[in-house]
Amino acid sequence: MAVITELSHLANPLASSTQLETSNSQLDGVPRDLETSIRYETARLLQAAGILLRLPQELVAQSIVILYRFWVGPDGGSLVDHDSTDVAAASLYLAAKPSAHAVSPSQTLQVFHYLNQTRPDYAGAAKQDVPPEDIDWHLSEGDLETARNRLYKVESTMLRVLGFQTHVALPYGLCINYLQTLDVSSSTAGSAVAKRAFAHLNTALFSPQLLYLTFQPSALATAAIYLAARETGAGLPETEWWEVFDVDREDLGFLVVALTSVEGFATEEKQRWGQRKVPLSVEELQAEMERRTMLENGQ
Amino acid sequence: MDKRHPSSFQQLEKLGEGTYATVFKGRNGQTGQFVALKEIHLDSEEGTPSTAIREISLMKELKHENIVSLYDVIHTENKLMLVFEYMDKDLKKYMDSYTSPATVAGTSPRGALDAVTIKSFMWQLMRGIAFCHDNRVLHRDLKPQNLLINTQGQLKLADFGLARAFGIPVNTFSNEVVTLWYRAPDVLLGSRTYNTSIDIWSAGCIMAEMFTGRPLFPGTTNEDQLLKIFRLMGTPSERSWPLISSFPEYKTNWPVCPTRELRAFLPQIDHMGLQLLAQMLQMRPEMRCSAQTALQHPWFAEHNARHAQQQQGPGGYAAAQGMQQGTGGQQQGQQQRAF
Repeated sequence: MAVITELSHLANPLASSTQLETSNSQLDGVPRDLETSIRYETARLLQAAGILLRLPQELVAQSIVILYRFWVGPDGGSLVDHDSTDVAAASLYLAAKPSAHAVSPSQTLQVFHYLNQTRPDYAGAAKQDVPPEDIDWHLSEGDLETARNRLYKVESTMLRVLGFQTHVALPYGLCINYLQTLDVSSSTAGSAVAKRAFAHLNTALFSPQLLYLTFQPSALATAAIYLAARETGAGLPETEWWEVFDVDREDLGFLVVALTSVEGFATEEKQRWGQRKVPLSVEELQAEMERRTMLENGQ
Repeated sequence: MDKRHPSSFQQLEKLGEGTYATVFKGRNGQTGQFVALKEIHLDSEEGTPSTAIREISLMKELKHENIVSLYDVIHTENKLMLVFEYMDKDLKKYMDSYTSPATVAGTSPRGALDAVTIKSFMWQLMRGIAFCHDNRVLHRDLKPQNLLINTQGQLKLADFGLARAFGIPVNTFSNEVVTLWYRAPDVLLGSRTYNTSIDIWSAGCIMAEMFTGRPLFPGTTNEDQLLKIFRLMGTPSERSWPLISSFPEYKTNWPVCPTRELRAFLPQIDHMGLQLLAQMLQMRPEMRCSAQTALQHPWFAEHNARHAQQQQGPGGYAAAQGMQQGTGGQQQGQQQRAF
């Protein structure tokens, strides 16, 4: 990861190519495709937890980015050492703590405990206001105590690996700012474009290409606006307006393709796993890896 | 950064104790250099304290000669220790132990500093604040105890436990910030959309305190703090401060005090200094000057001229750069992995 020489809270440190090539999990023998599935599933889990905890989307986005930062690179965290549900809970807890929307450890843990029993149907779980009766979402005092200690431990490990780099510059505010600059927001189509653009920014969080770790917020905001305008038919300047926001045509093109391909990726993941659970704990991961080895040997 | 062991620093006497940390003087075992070791208590109810997370994530990036340097973070299983540049005392202790020639002559109260020192400290304070604001960081807790002084007369901002980064658009913040005495009237009135101007108000209070040796507005409660401010600055009204009645803490039964001239209660300050102070101690946040504007004030003309000369002088710039690199070497440990 490049050292930031110029201080700016509007930019993020991006992942280096070495970090993107190899992760600690892969070094520990986790196949790349399985790692991608787990990362995606964990991000979904986080998004659902954020909705249940009524947290602003910006905090959810920040926790997903923190989660990705932790897993990336040879000196990052390994799926073989940490349950990804634990890492997800710690990411959310860690992101919310210094903000105006801090959540208590027990709130966080209860929600993750509940979701862990509803998976893989997070969408359904996040929509329900009252948990279904057949699900025991309550953590006993003893279990809570154990879980809390584990949360603190994982949090501490994450801070160490992240070098306390928990600040995440997000594209949402910039996106609105750009729309105003482009004079789109005031038109009737303006709010439709903004909604669409925000939807793309949320989608980008789930991209297997880790877009928030490889592009600056300005590029993400620009690409989201470009796509949103095309979909809603809102008029944008005929010129190469994205250059004003320091984005070149090549990056814009790449991002547009990346953003539109997330849907296909998600569908594929859904078909691949069906009702089978993506392994989100060390134990489940080891079982899955053994299953794969047996299948290979059997053939 | 986790490879370094706490024992590579020799722990000396305790310098202070806060709610979330204990600070010790320390000595680097290899270089003999003095450091300040801030040991964070981890056995709290929230895991790693949010103050520590904020302070480390911001201080790692804020490198300026008027901001105390964070050299290293030592993070082991059960201990979190921040290694800071060592400074001799804070401004509060400095003022308490200071005896100016005027004090000896009986013309100035104890604790008051001399005009030359004050101007130098104020210039350095405003440079530190300007750097934070330029980098989108609000300090939010400026007070004499958080300004550190070394034997070379350098002043540096410390304790970023309450600081936060602000982006666009500015979110609503907690109004539990800044020690009461240095808290801006808009924050006291319950504003949650404050900005950089809250640090400027604190700086103004500190400037007055350096001249008199006493805190300018030593309130005991939120309400009392506001009244102490009104007694000197005048009670605000819809006419002097449009929309003031929409603040959560607005009261209709405030005693009506007339606006007094700063000169009347701060006769120690020269004309130009008062002019600057008046721009900083504006009741309405939007009327307060920015740190950059304050630095451009003629009161600082000499300091600015000298600074410009040092930057241009033969080898001056390179020499300054070299010095920065010298301390930069200390940070390699924590810079290896940016996240």
